[in-house]
This record gives sequence, C-alpha cells and structure tokens, in this order.
Amino acid sequence: MQRRTFLAGATATLALGLGSAQALAADASLDDILHDPDAPEGGNSKGDLTIVAFTDYNCPFCKKAAPDLDRAVREDGNIRLVYKDWPILTQASVYGARMALAARYQGAYEQAHHALMSINGRAVSQEDMEKAIEAAGIDMPRLRTDLEARKKDITALLARNMDQADALGLQGTPTYLIGPLLASTLDYDGFREAIAQARNRQTGDAQ
Amino acid sequence: MFCSIKTKWALILLLPLLFSPLTAQAETTPPPADKVFVLDASRDGDALRLSWTVAPGAYLYRDSLKATLSGSELPLAPPPGETKDDPNFGKVEVYHDAVALTVPGLPQSGALNVTYQGCAESGICYPPVRSRIDLASLAVTQQPRSSLLADTADPPAPAQSVAVSTDQSADAALSGGLFTIVPAFVGFGLLLAFTPCVLPMVPILSGLLVGAGRPSAARGFSLSTAYVLAMASAYGLAGLVAGWSGANLQALLQTPPMLGLSAAVFVALAFAMFGLFELTLPSFVVTRIASLPVRGGSLGGAALLGFGSALVIGPCVTPPLAAAMLYAIDTGNAARGGAALFALGLGMGLPLVLAGTFGARFLPKSGPWLDGFRRLFGLLFLGVAVMLAVRLLPAPAGLALWGVLALVVATFLGAFDRMGRTSPWSARFSKALGLSTALYGAVLIVGAAGGSGDPSRPLAFLSGREVTEVATLSRTLPADFDRAFAAEASAGKPVLVLFTADWCTVCKSNEKILADPDLRARLASTAWITIDITAQTAEAEELMERFRVVGPPALFLLDTDGREITGSRLIGAFSAADLAARLGALGA
Repeated sequence: MQRRTFLAGATATLALGLGSAQALAADASLDDILHDPDAPEGGNSKGDLTIVAFTDYNCPFCKKAAPDLDRAVREDGNIRLVYKDWPILTQASVYGARMALAARYQGAYEQAHHALMSINGRAVSQEDMEKAIEAAGIDMPRLRTDLEARKKDITALLARNMDQADALGLQGTPTYLIGPLLASTLDYDGFREAIAQARNRQTGDAQ
Repeated sequence: MFCSIKTKWALILLLPLLFSPLTAQAETTPPPADKVFVLDASRDGDALRLSWTVAPGAYLYRDSLKATLSGSELPLAPPPGETKDDPNFGKVEVYHDAVALTVPGLPQSGALNVTYQGCAESGICYPPVRSRIDLASLAVTQQPRSSLLADTADPPAPAQSVAVSTDQSADAALSGGLFTIVPAFVGFGLLLAFTPCVLPMVPILSGLLVGAGRPSAARGFSLSTAYVLAMASAYGLAGLVAGWSGANLQALLQTPPMLGLSAAVFVALAFAMFGLFELTLPSFVVTRIASLPVRGGSLGGAALLGFGSALVIGPCVTPPLAAAMLYAIDTGNAARGGAALFALGLGMGLPLVLAGTFGARFLPKSGPWLDGFRRLFGLLFLGVAVMLAVRLLPAPAGLALWGVLALVVATFLGAFDRMGRTSPWSARFSKALGLSTALYGAVLIVGAAGGSGDPSRPLAFLSGREVTEVATLSRTLPADFDRAFAAEASAGKPVLVLFTADWCTVCKSNEKILADPDLRARLASTAWITIDITAQTAEAEELMERFRVVGPPALFLLDTDGREITGSRLIGAFSAADLAARLGALGA
C-alpha cells in the first residue's frame, strides 16, 4: 500500500520536475546512467553496489568529499564507482573534465581525476589543472593527442552526463547516487552509513 | 525490468524520506539554485538596485556577481562580504542572508543580464544562475542554464569568434558613429544655408567680408574661410559644452519624462520651422552684436565677425541649432557633440566660402522654393520627435505614430492637392511620391491595428507564419542541401539547419516559437535551411544520417565549413529562451 503511494508520488514529481525539453532525456533509463560504456569506473567492477559520482573540478565540496569516498569504496571492496564528470561551475571545469577523460585513453582517468580533485579552491585555472595532471605522471603529449583525436567522443560523453543529470533533476555538485539513494557532500562515516542503507534497500527491493 | 527501474526512480526521488535517519547533511534534497538565491531589482533614483535574498545555510560568492548590458560587462561594486577561509575553498568572500548593490547609469529600456553563483553549507555547489532583468518593467526572469560545454566544445574557435564579433560591433558603434555624424551634420548645415533667412544674406555678407574692392579669389577664399571656420568653431564650442554637460545628464535624459519632454521640444521646433512662431534672440542682443565695430578686410576681423555671427541667429537657424544642441547633449560625449556642431557650422558656411571666392553669381537665386527647406527641417524634427516618442510607447502604438508621420509627410508632398490640367510635372511627381508615402503610412497604421511593431513588415501578422527568408528544400537531395548551404554560408555566418515534417506536431509548436518577435529580430540576420522530411525518401534519410538526426524536430548550427557547432543542437520541443540562449552562447 505504502509503496504504491510512493510510486504515485514519484511519477508526479517526474512530471512536474522535468520540462518538455527534458522529456526526451527522462526516457533515458537508469540503466543508461549506471552502465554508460564510456564512463570511467573505479572500485570493484563486479561490486554489488554502484555509486555514481556527479562532480566538477572546481567544486570545493567535491574535493572535500573525494578522499572520504575513495576510502569508503576501497575499504568496502564490493562497490563499483562510476565517475560522471559534470562540469557546470566554471569554464575551466569543462577543460579539466576533458583532460581527465582524455587520460582514460592511456588508462589513467583515476590518476587525473585524483590530481584534479586534490587542487583546492573554486577557481582553479586551466593552466593549474594541466600542471597538476602533468605532475601526476601522465603522458602529456599522448594526452594532448587523445584530447584532439577523441574530442567528439569526449564531448558526447560530457553532453550525455549533463542530460542525465538534468533528467535526474540534480541541482548542483557533488551529487552521489548510492544505490537507490541520492546524496550531496558526505564525510567518511556518512558514506559508510549511506552504503549500508543502500544495501539494505537493495536487498529489500529484490525480495 | 520496467517496474524495477520505476522503483529505483521512486526511491531516488523520495530521498528526503529515506535519508532522514542519516547524517544531517543529507536530510533534504537541495532546492534549485534559483530558489536558494532570489534576485530582485528596483529603481533607486537613477540607479538600479539589485538585491539578493540568500536562503538560510547558503551563500553567494562576492566575485561571482556579474552584470552585462548588451554584451559588455558592467563594473559592479558589491559591498565587502564575510571572509571564509577553508582549506578546500581557499580564501573567499561570501554573502549569507542578503546582499544588495546599485548599478548607476543604466538605460530605461533593454535588458540587463546578471549572473551569480554560490553554494550551500550542506555541501552542494550550484551552477551559475543567469537572470535577465527587463529594464523597463524590472521583471526578473531566470534564463536556462547555459551549458558550459557549448562554449568550449571547440575551445579556441567559437570563443574567439564571439569576442571578435562583439569587438567589431563596439568599434563600429564608436568609429562609425563619428564617421557618419560629421558628414550628416555638414549636410544639415548645407540644408540650413538654403533656408530663406540664410541664403539671401550670403551675397550681402560676402560683400561685407571681402570688401567693395573685389580682391583676388584667393584673398576672398581665405577671408570667407576664416569667417566660416570661426563661426563653426563657435558652434563647435557650444556643442562641446552641450556634450560635456550631457555626460552628466545622460541618465536623466533617458528617463521617460525627459524623453517625452524632448519629443515635445522637437514638435515645437518643427512648428517654428513651419512658421507658427519665430524663435529669435531678444532684439537688444541682436542689435548690440550687429553694431559691434568690426569690419571686413582683414583675416582677424573676418574671424571675429564669424565668431560673433554665431551668436546672431536668425529665426530659421535657431530651431535647428537648438535641435543640434539637444542631440549633442544626448550623445553625452563632448568630442562628439563638438564635432557635430562644428560640422553643422562648416556646412552652413560652404555657400559663403563659394560666394566669397567666386562672387555671388554661383549661388542659386533666392525665391519661394527656399521655404521648402524650412518645411524639410520641420518634417525632420517631427521625425526626431517620433523617434523619441516611440521609445515610450508599445511597439504597435509606435508603428501607428510612424504611420501618422508618413501621412503628414505625404500631405506636405502634395498627395492630397488637387491637380489641374496645367499642373507642372514636378507637382505631379511630388503628388505621386506623396501618395506612395500616404499608402505606406496607412499600411503602417493598419499593421499597428493588427498588433505589428515592425515598420519593415507591418502586415506580417496576416501571413500567420512569420518566419521568412528560410531556404526550404522542397526536395531533400543532399546535393540540393549542399547548394543551399553554399549559398547561405557565403555570408560568413553560421547557418541554422532545421529538420521538420508536416506530420510533426512538435515542429508546428516550435515554428510558433520561432515567430516570437524577439527571436525573429534576432534571427533576421541568420541564414536558415529548413529540411522538410515529410516524405521519408532515401535522400531524406541520407541527410538525416549525415547529420545524425533521428527524427524531426531537430535544429542546429553549422559553421561555414559545414561542421555542426557542438552544443548548438536542440532536439524536440524548445522554448524561445532555450534557442536564444544557444544562439547567444554561440555568438550567432
């Protein structure tokens, strides 16, 4: 009974929250969001729980939460982490996201991601982002080649991420989908608790 | 499967309920940015006051407050904020609860675009909010979030083209302004010289200047030129002062009461030109100056006479001069005001230089035809009055006013004069011109009654579909497309490509949106290609595949090389704001 009410409420929220232009995007199933073949992943690819992280490289809260998320994912060992670069705050954020995604072609997305996430501040310039990536030991000539050669794919992925975030009605960064739950900035304990609850929900859902 | 997705959706969206036992940080789903940061605009004397209300627990960044007026960024002076020093944020200045600032010197109409950005302590950073403030009504509207992706998809190219295009327009506005002002005012001055109280004076004046002895042409030229330059300088000086004082008055002059007053002054000046009343300096001033013991023959004397003559202004010259002064004040730019009036003086003096150099025989004979020039000035002033007044009126009322002016002009041209068998050809020609003008005026009034506001397309409302000049491909052969594209792209601007079909209802509603007056004005200079894929032929499918269009409606911009401009694509239903934002972001 109660669940039916939930569903009705959810449908109403969907209808209200998403404008006509986004109606198309709303058709994108959750599956597309969780299993975008181009989206970089971390953690355990066979994990029983998926966390999707929508972040921006000029978002201080994302940077604050990043080490706690990593630790929670690493210690848990059974979580698949999907990175969704969602550059919405500054123009440099887009550049940072492009570089990180280009690094994926040399298998170094997470290296680049962590390098960018560890520069503090909300107005990091393109140059400083580039320096941080270089300092992380990424092959820069290769990165530049991929940045150019894979431009179309990278742009398409970023556009897809943006559409997905819009379809979900996300308002800002960071936003984490933790199984069926949605959260913004959490600390280590917060992530642990959310992960535990999400597992509970999932098993409850399956029954 | 379907059901399980739905369930997940439900759970995600019902987060506030589910998350409550968790940490305090995640108790509620964050509200959207435009609910967290609420912008309000109000008039504060001449200035505009922007005030933000910030929801509890959220804050705005001081350095994120930006305002642009027609593409150029305005300097803002936000008050000092609270300093926040956090290892993750660095040192930043923020505002909690509320902040307000004033922006001086804004026009009374147009739109101010304001962007601002902030975060909430609960741990979320919002994308920049873009608001548009209508300066006439002070209504604040949220603009759709601009995709930063669109701006950098091709990092150097689009950004540069935007910058270049704004620079060019700014340059054109400045330099083109002065280059058109000076010749225009020389022209006005020349027209003034042909009014009935100036032209008959020219031979007398030149006799007085050059003296009875008829010296050489060179001497006559230098004497009369000295006189004219001195006179023009006196005017220029007056223009300089007017422009300079206007710099301080400019904001005031743009207010509706002042616009109305200026329009009324121009109407009065027009009637003065028509001879309803005379505008002259008090007679004691005129006689005093006229009796100054200055005589011609020397350059210095001629110059002194010229400078002084600027003060003795005949009844024909006063209204135009007053009008020119008003113009100078309105520019608010001393150099421009000075240049305009100096040019006016030069133009007025040209016939004098001619007469001084070659003798009066080169000048046309005075006669009743000179009155025509007075009337011309009267009509010009009425035109200026209408130009000023329409800024106060809704567009259709403005259009009606132009229509009335056209009827007035037509009447002066003799559109409604009776023609006789013996009427000269010139009168007939003038009547014909007048009748055409009258017809145009009538059409404008009809257009206004139909709700139109565009003088170039007053009857557009009759056609229903207002988007014209669209290259529609009746056949969808890719070769046809290439030909149409080559033709449209030759203008060197991006080309808008629109996929549509008769059976596509969303396309119809999109077309209605494209007829939005603001958008239409904006798109007037944009090249279009509409691809009608009603008949789903193999060719149509080839084009769809080429542009990766799954179905209509789809709209995107192609650069001049035929590549799609990343981020320009709109699929499905869109709003006028969506499209305007895309076009704006891409500088198209």
